[in-house]
Amino acid sequence: MPCWRGLQDVRVEMNKVVKKFGAKKALDVPAWLLEDGEVVGLVGSNGAGKTTFLRILLDLLKADHGNVRMDGRNVQQDAGWRARTGSFLDRSFLIEYLTIPEYLEFVGTTFGMSKREIAAGLEPFESFLPLSRIDRKRLIRDLSTGNAKKVGILAALFVQPEFVVLDEPFANLDPPSQIRLKQLLVEMAADPGRSMIISSHDLGHVTEVCGRITLLQHGEIKRDEETDAKTLEELNAWFSDEGISSAT
Amino acid sequence: MLSPQRTYPLLARNQVRVSLRQMKSQQGWFMRIVIGVMMVYSAFILLTLGLFFDRFSAELWPEQTPVEIVNQSLLAAFISLFFIRFLFQKTPRMKIVPYLHLPIRRGSLVAFFQAASLLSIHNFYPLLFFVPFWWRYVVAEGSMMGHLMWIGAIMLLILASHFANLLLRGVLRQRAGLFYIWMSLFIATAFVDEAAGIGLQQRLSSFLFSRILSGEATGLLLLIAFTAFAITASTISLARSLRGSDGGQSAQARVRSFEVPEEWGLLGQLVRIELLLMWRNRRPRHYLFVSLLFSTLYLVFMLSSGQALGGVAFSALLGLFASGGFALNYGQLMFGWDSTHYQAYVSRNVAFPSLVRAKVIVLQLSCLGLFVMSLPLFIWLRPDLVALHFAFLFYNAGITTVLVMELATRNRQRVDIGRSGGFFNYEGFSARHWLWFIPTALPPVLFLQVMSSSPRLGLTILATVGLLGVLFTGLWTRYFANGLKSRKHAMLEGFAGRAG
Repeated sequence: MPCWRGLQDVRVEMNKVVKKFGAKKALDVPAWLLEDGEVVGLVGSNGAGKTTFLRILLDLLKADHGNVRMDGRNVQQDAGWRARTGSFLDRSFLIEYLTIPEYLEFVGTTFGMSKREIAAGLEPFESFLPLSRIDRKRLIRDLSTGNAKKVGILAALFVQPEFVVLDEPFANLDPPSQIRLKQLLVEMAADPGRSMIISSHDLGHVTEVCGRITLLQHGEIKRDEETDAKTLEELNAWFSDEGISSAT
Repeated sequence: MLSPQRTYPLLARNQVRVSLRQMKSQQGWFMRIVIGVMMVYSAFILLTLGLFFDRFSAELWPEQTPVEIVNQSLLAAFISLFFIRFLFQKTPRMKIVPYLHLPIRRGSLVAFFQAASLLSIHNFYPLLFFVPFWWRYVVAEGSMMGHLMWIGAIMLLILASHFANLLLRGVLRQRAGLFYIWMSLFIATAFVDEAAGIGLQQRLSSFLFSRILSGEATGLLLLIAFTAFAITASTISLARSLRGSDGGQSAQARVRSFEVPEEWGLLGQLVRIELLLMWRNRRPRHYLFVSLLFSTLYLVFMLSSGQALGGVAFSALLGLFASGGFALNYGQLMFGWDSTHYQAYVSRNVAFPSLVRAKVIVLQLSCLGLFVMSLPLFIWLRPDLVALHFAFLFYNAGITTVLVMELATRNRQRVDIGRSGGFFNYEGFSARHWLWFIPTALPPVLFLQVMSSSPRLGLTILATVGLLGVLFTGLWTRYFANGLKSRKHAMLEGFAGRAG
């Protein structure tokens, strides 16, 4: 099942992580590794524990047991990883009363970028979110769900982080934006120093972008394999079976 | 559409359920006991005052009868009660919104929730004074018709006050500019009435209620007309507010921005974001405007009111609020304001000390700003209080901000600034916030009271303590940052609405 290449280049390490909400076990991961340069797709049905997984990974939620280590350091004790991580889980990552340029300037500043560097960093993403054509005085809270999501994804990516965490990045995006985002993620994933974890319900996109798929069900990892030509077909079959079994 | 016969019991059942759940979930046992004791105590005071008013009045106003005293103070009392109502009482609008998509007539919803809003403590507490007072003192004077008309007038005043408050809150939400004009005009009129010694309000009150007591119907008819107007206008205002948008998202018109020098780095960005939060969100903006109003117009009124400023304690409170009003009110929710986007900070490379520092800078700047604005008023009206004003600038910047931040960094209640109404919306506030005024406001007031024989020394000590607080800003910034770090997950859960 696990497809780890080796332990010498581990970026993220989850050890015996358990999280319960009341009596319900939301996540139970005995061990999980993300290696340097790896791009992992996190898939699973609603309530499978994907967002809980990512929130614990980003130290936004405290696990009941276990720990997460990033570059060998516990994420709760050493926040240095944040300066190397670009993430977007949901709209609460946005500061909605700011305009898009104001928000991106804030995010860039947290990565120590100057205004010139921020402008340069945004250029490759012009086709994803054309900042030169948007209303610069429009507040984020007045954007549509799809456009707000684009802002969040852009904020996570334009700083060229070493580690990218995205939750459902393709949801709510129009088809051209989905295609462009997929291209961007593939381009960024080509950098061997960058690792990514992307959760998605879109099995087609996620198998195209990610070299490895981790499948969660009821908070547990059921499959963790490198992507190949059959992965999409197998995942479709898995979820068809799961749909039938949960319906019966 | 559901018939009114089925609508009202359904709504009543839901309201009872909601109220019971709120009672169970809102406060811990300690706070419930504290609030309970305070309620019983204030009820006891009101009852005692109503039953034994002559014992108090004989000492304070020996030349007047209890009824004369109360008659001439009734309008003033209701204006004061109105102010308290305005601070605490909510409009039923947000209770109606969840029902709007259901097949229930809006008229029925409005009628039900307008009527249900009468079940407020603000309507029952005044009766604890007025009913025994009426029974002990009013019934002894005049005719039976007069007695009944007098207590009827009191009921009408309570009703009018209730619905006028709902109306004014509606005006504040829909046309804030008009609200501030009304407020300014009212304060200016009260100021002229007081400063020029006209006593218009006292005379009017005395005239109106003594006539009602003597059985003349004109005064009562006037009150009936005013009450009917308040009920009708507030009902129309509520119904209209359900059709239109909240009006709180006037963001497009408020995107004036400003830059901070690049050299200021992340701290500069965080201060900028704090200031934009205040400007672009209705509820924080109201805190700002009301603080400005207090430190200018209201202060003129208070400083010129020589009689009221007789006590050291009152002067101290005035000094505290003149420069620290904004910090005391707005500062309590300093992290609650960020609840919808707190993850934007904690998921990024934003160190807690920087976050705390930015907020402290904003609070300290507010103290300085309000101090500068109100200083000319102190010099003009009460030059003897200028030293006190200076002392409180340091105290507020160095100590009040610390105390306020102590509470703010422990806040876990979500405040949805995008949806919140105006200033007098207490989402995010708990009894703890109200009680926090005691350790925040009382120590300097008590201290100056104790030092009243050597006021200069008292003010010097107060200013020195404040200055030390300012000088040690770095130290307590680290203390609060550590607290935030240890409570990070609990705050995130609370802000997400998953835990209190």
